[in-house]
Amino acid sequence: MKNRLRVLRAEREWSQQDLAERLEVSRQSVNAIETGRYDPSLPLAFKIADLFGMTIEEIFTNPSKEA
Amino acid sequence: MRNTSAAGRRYVRRFIPMILAYAVALVVSIVLMQRLEPQGPLLALLAVLPALPLLGLIAVLGIYVAEETDEYVRANIVRHMLIGLAALLGLLTVWGFLEMGRAAPHFPTILAFPIWCGVWGFSQSVAALRARLSGDA
Repeated sequence: MKNRLRVLRAEREWSQQDLAERLEVSRQSVNAIETGRYDPSLPLAFKIADLFGMTIEEIFTNPSKEA
Repeated sequence: MRNTSAAGRRYVRRFIPMILAYAVALVVSIVLMQRLEPQGPLLALLAVLPALPLLGLIAVLGIYVAEETDEYVRANIVRHMLIGLAALLGLLTVWGFLEMGRAAPHFPTILAFPIWCGVWGFSQSVAALRARLSGDA
C-alpha cells in the first residue's frame, strides 16, 4: 500500500530507527511499510497516524482509489 | 531468527536450556539403553526421553510467536514456518506414496522436525539475503 511515511519521516529528520523506536517496532518493519512490502494492521496504522498527528487516510493511500 | 525484541530475547533464554536438555537427554538415553538393555515401560521411557525437550522446544516456538509484539517480524516468521511446513508435508506425501508402492524404504519420522526447521531457516535466510541485496533490509 502506497504511503507518505518516508516523506513525513524525512520532514522530521528521523531515521528509520528513530521512527521504529517511537512506534515500538523493528527498523525492518518501518522499512517494509515505507516500501509498501507490508501493510500495517489497523492498530499500527492508527499508532502511526497518532504519531504524526494525522488521519490514516492522510498517510496511506486507499488501494481502491489508486490510479 | 535475528531479533532483538523483548519476546526475541525471551525466546533465546528459553531455547538454550531446551537444546541443552535435548543434548543431555539424548546421551543419557543412548548410554542407558546400551548398558541396561531395558524392556517394557523403562525402554519406552528411555526411548522417548530425548523427544521431551523437543516438545518443549516446539512450545517455546509457539510462545515466541504468541508473545512477539512486532507484527511484521511475527508475520514474516510465521510465513517461513508455513513454507517449512508445506515442504515437509509435500515431502511426506510423496514419500508416503512411494513407500506404499514399495518404491522407497520406511521414512525415518525422527527427521520430520529437523527437516521443518531446516527448510524454515533456509527460506528465512534466503529472504533476508534477497532483502539485503536489494537494499530493503
